[in-house]
Amino acid sequence: MSRVQLEISLGILFVALTSALLIWYGLNEPKRMAEYELHQRAKAIEVGAELYDINCKGCHGPQGEGVVGLWPPLNDRHFFTNRLTEVGWSGTLEDYIISTVSSGRLVSTRPDLYPGQGRPVMPAWAERYGGPLRDDQIRNLAAFILNWKDTAPDRTAQMAEMAGPPTGTDINKQLPEGDPVRGQGLAAAKGCAVCHISAPTGPAWLATPDQPGIATRAEEILTDPNYTGNAKTAAQYLHESIVLPNVYIVPGFQAGVMPANYGDTLTDQELADIIAYLLTLK
Amino acid sequence: MLKSLDLQDLKSKLYQAIDNRVRIITAGLNIRELRNVLRGDPPEEKPNPRYKVHTTSFLFHIRPRYYEKASTIFTHTFRLGFFSMFFFVVEAITGIILMIYYSPVPSEAYQSILNLESNVPFGKLIRDLHRLGAEAMVIFVFLHMVRTFITGSYKKERSFTWFTGVLLLGVTLFLSFFGYLLPWDQLAYWAVTIGTGMAEAAPLFGREANLLLRGGPDIGANGLLRAYLLHVVLLPAVAVLLISIHYYKVSREHGISLPAKYEEGDVSPEEKKNARQRIDFIPDLLSHEVFLTSVGIFALVASVIVFGYSAPLENIANPQVTPLDTKAPWYFWWLQGLLKLGDKTLMGVILPTLVVALLIAIPYIDRNPYRSLYKRPVAVGIGILSLLVLVVLSYMGTPLYGIETPAATRIVQDLAPEEGVGPLRQVPFDQLQPGTYEVKETVPRDLCPNLDFGCPALTSVFAEYSRRVNRAINDTSLPKIQRLPNGQAFLIIEDWQTDLRKVTFRILWDDPDTQQRKTYERHIFLHRLRGNE
Repeated sequence: MSRVQLEISLGILFVALTSALLIWYGLNEPKRMAEYELHQRAKAIEVGAELYDINCKGCHGPQGEGVVGLWPPLNDRHFFTNRLTEVGWSGTLEDYIISTVSSGRLVSTRPDLYPGQGRPVMPAWAERYGGPLRDDQIRNLAAFILNWKDTAPDRTAQMAEMAGPPTGTDINKQLPEGDPVRGQGLAAAKGCAVCHISAPTGPAWLATPDQPGIATRAEEILTDPNYTGNAKTAAQYLHESIVLPNVYIVPGFQAGVMPANYGDTLTDQELADIIAYLLTLK
Repeated sequence: MLKSLDLQDLKSKLYQAIDNRVRIITAGLNIRELRNVLRGDPPEEKPNPRYKVHTTSFLFHIRPRYYEKASTIFTHTFRLGFFSMFFFVVEAITGIILMIYYSPVPSEAYQSILNLESNVPFGKLIRDLHRLGAEAMVIFVFLHMVRTFITGSYKKERSFTWFTGVLLLGVTLFLSFFGYLLPWDQLAYWAVTIGTGMAEAAPLFGREANLLLRGGPDIGANGLLRAYLLHVVLLPAVAVLLISIHYYKVSREHGISLPAKYEEGDVSPEEKKNARQRIDFIPDLLSHEVFLTSVGIFALVASVIVFGYSAPLENIANPQVTPLDTKAPWYFWWLQGLLKLGDKTLMGVILPTLVVALLIAIPYIDRNPYRSLYKRPVAVGIGILSLLVLVVLSYMGTPLYGIETPAATRIVQDLAPEEGVGPLRQVPFDQLQPGTYEVKETVPRDLCPNLDFGCPALTSVFAEYSRRVNRAINDTSLPKIQRLPNGQAFLIIEDWQTDLRKVTFRILWDDPDTQQRKTYERHIFLHRLRGNE
């Protein structure tokens, strides 16, 4: 066999091998492309979660629970089933989310339920409307929010089930006996830790290497000459801080940050439970 | 009528007609001759019809009629020049296909790559081939230059060819560099930001050069369009021109050099004559080239399909967030290494310019008439030394050298890099058992005894985390920046959403400078279907 023949034969062999590889690759293409799209969707949700954590959770809550009376929940059955008809939106929910996040909202569509704070009630987030986010980031955010669809609880029903009349704002009121274990659950369920974060292992009311727990801190504040509130005991101080947060502001914090409507949304028992829980944290 | 249709006559007429066609198509070879070519047999007609092809066919007139035998020895050239050209053609073909799907606008570019990879059959393959071909082309062009230097083939009448070759190396690097930006991911964006930033260091016109390249103070829509046009129009045009000149010199003027020993060595006249024997282009060289091409294509395709080469694609470019371990493309690491050594203008512009000038001037500086390795020890010594310097500088250019990252940041970055995969993201989703895990002196054998399938991957990530943190806490011999005095470290895994978990790394330590407690925190969200390519 001459060199030319050998090279031509080997060449044909390589071409055949290459073709075989290409055919095999081609047969796998539909599967690969479908998988790739799933991965992309998953990555979009991951990126969206990160963006949500940085930009949205301050108002809408780390788990989309919102804050009653101020900012609407997103992780809510109502949002996935009724919201579009409620506002008369003709596109998809994804379009609705992208549009709302991009251009924000000047006034609330439900001012009685969620008046928001300040104007606009929701700022515009898209770069082209003066916000910080690019379009692809807003698409990722929408992917993350839409991922709540299957598990979103019915928060309206939960609210309607409020176990009793609201507690009001009288801090001298005699509260029933509180249960610290239930209180801990409530603190999580009401989303307190949305804002009260800073300790290394959890919410800000826990003890850290730098300072004691909230119960001890409450005692200390009562003895502080600059204290301007009316509480006489640690329990009363915590009561006051929850229902009338602006009576006394701890140095280093701003007034008006904490919603002042917990007197309307907590029952006596719930408030007592939360206080009982906080008092265990020395 | 019918009787006049002689079958014999028809057959020969038909044969002649076909023969004629074949001659026209092959520019001079008839069927018999074509058969002989394919079988490697000598020509039958005189004068040799195979030479006629070189005058009548455009494509063949570019190629020489023959090479001298010794110049085709494999270990003399390693076919590096051929493969440089091969990769250029591969890049051109795959590049044109990619152009169909690509859109050079920041808001669309990344999306168009995702679309190419998820919605275009063979789209990902084409992109992988294009990327792999580009990397290979840089390597082969560089090796081609090294080979030319080692065999001393840049001397005398070949000095101008060497000059065009040096320019072609530059064009290759820039082609690759500007192509780097086009996917518009973090890797691309920051590598090119670093690269074009060097232009700024140029004396006198630095600011203008930078603005001209980037189309603004930062790379944006203008910068991307410029990179795109350089990549698909200007640089390829320059490359085609230079390749034509380079190859014209080789094929028409001086041919491929013979190994030095046949020109100046101590070999018999018999051997010298033998070395200069002609090897015809048709069929020997042509079949060899076709063979090399089939090998090249197979190697490329197999690297992607069998060995799983995948062109990198990180997160979309974000001008606001500089990733921690930013680096230039690997073939510019040496330049980054130089920059760490001193002044930006001197190291980043003046010195590299001198290096290029020196490369071009080599044939004129090196007046030693000999080509054999043994007769030019100085040149070879300097060559080897330069290669070593290049390797060391490249190492210094990577983030491994001379960049100090605070301990907490470094540890978390190594476990879960901002871009790319890393150990944490390789943990199967089901092993990420929610919970708070605190780093202690001893590492637990199994983090999740409650899972019946266990979590070896998570445990090993946590063990590595513990080991690194404990070392930073206890090892007082480490430099200050790598220590975590009184350190406390947590790994927190939370169920976050359907198929989504949140992993938090939290490290606390006493800052030695301010004596205050500092916290470093990173949140990583992991989805069940993320896939790790």
